Amino acid sequence: MTAPVANPIGRAEINGLIFNPYSKDFIRNPDPVWQRLMKDFPIAWHKDLQMWLVSSHELCDKVLKDNRFSPNFRVWELAPPPKAEADKNDFDFAFEKGFFAVTPKEHLRLRKLTMPAFSKPVMGKIDGKIRDLVEDCFNAIGDAEEFDVYETLANKIPVRSIARMIGVDTNMEEFFHEFAVSVIKSTRINLGVKERDAAMQGTLPGFKYFREQIAARRALPHPGDDFLGSLVGATDNGEKLDDYEILSVVFALITAGSDTATDLHTFLIHGLLKNPDQYELLKQKPELMENAIIELLRYGSFGKMPFFRFATEDIEFAGQHIKKGQAIGVNIQSAWHDPAKWENPNTLDITRRLDGNIVFGAGAHFCIGTYLVRVQGMLMLKEFMKRYPHAELADGDGRIDYEYTHHNARRINKLIVKTNAKTARKAA
Amino acid sequence: MKKWICVICGHIYDEAAGDPGGGVAPGTRFEDVPEDWVCPECGSPKSAFEEYTG
Repeated sequence: MTAPVANPIGRAEINGLIFNPYSKDFIRNPDPVWQRLMKDFPIAWHKDLQMWLVSSHELCDKVLKDNRFSPNFRVWELAPPPKAEADKNDFDFAFEKGFFAVTPKEHLRLRKLTMPAFSKPVMGKIDGKIRDLVEDCFNAIGDAEEFDVYETLANKIPVRSIARMIGVDTNMEEFFHEFAVSVIKSTRINLGVKERDAAMQGTLPGFKYFREQIAARRALPHPGDDFLGSLVGATDNGEKLDDYEILSVVFALITAGSDTATDLHTFLIHGLLKNPDQYELLKQKPELMENAIIELLRYGSFGKMPFFRFATEDIEFAGQHIKKGQAIGVNIQSAWHDPAKWENPNTLDITRRLDGNIVFGAGAHFCIGTYLVRVQGMLMLKEFMKRYPHAELADGDGRIDYEYTHHNARRINKLIVKTNAKTARKAA
Repeated sequence: MKKWICVICGHIYDEAAGDPGGGVAPGTRFEDVPEDWVCPECGSPKSAFEEYTG
């Protein structure tokens, strides 16, 4: 065992040699790194990333449920100085009103007003709205003997689903996709200031578009029963959401359900086909679907960068002194593989009891898109199983490849599935 | 029997079903759920729940 490196004040420290989320080896095979972090450095200051890294399930869970650790990057000691009011743009105003920036009290109010739009019953109805989008993606595959999951499904279903949900026209999908990527990049503190600023500028046409959409809804006698309409019409004790609060929700929906869900689809299929016994079991017991999706997310653990939190005060935590303003990387991907929490963490078991999991986070900032993710994943997998019950990974590994420079995820950008559809038909 | 919804994650507490996994027996009214009980889905406190009428 390697002991944590202690600096003169007794702080446990690591560096990029121990955890480098951009390393190709890590992206291809992250588990050895995670296991080492959890065993030897469950909490340590990362000298190269300039943040604390918390890696065990127990500590990640604690940080996520402790409101002294804020997701508001304005609390960060290295945050750029706030802009003058006159220099602020739509991005700044939406961010300031958003889930990650407001006080805990304001956050609860926002969640109350927006919860109806994201709740399980409402998301269940989304099923009918996006089913044809999913079927269209599969129809485009047709009778092919092989297809690339990334190109045909993962790169298309999430962004089209979100666009449909918000009411964006089909012919504006590319515009929306650019907006979505820019929104996500604008929030990543691991990116340089210039890259973040450029991404922020890239969001402005999208914000302008949605402001116009909101204004149009407000002008109607009834704003509508769809997602945007329910936000425009939401009330709590006479209070309503203002434009920037609604934009901040669109912002959250994009970060929760668009770019991240791209990885959902590739990792769901990869995990199942890599474990044919589990694929067989799911076909036999489709009632396991929701549990299977959460287990597949846990098993695949596709993120590479941790969640960010920032200390709002000096905090003694797990034997370390965290100073006000310091960043904390909550390495939930490693926590999902923590052997102290999960028996045989590297085994996919779709019947696993997942009580206490933090696959969608925990505490006040629990993933608002959780049910949307499940609905989308279920629709895709059901269609996949129906059409390709004998599918397997091409050449054993799906000729898998990764986008090593992705800002956030261990993104699979090539995964070839052999459908065996014609063979099965001939045999029948 | 009423239903209550967690405003953070949308989890529904159904008084008829209780939360056996969290030590709350079926048929337990929400007022009688222990104050230190947390949402089984996201870990939010009891105060994050509102009556659900949907």
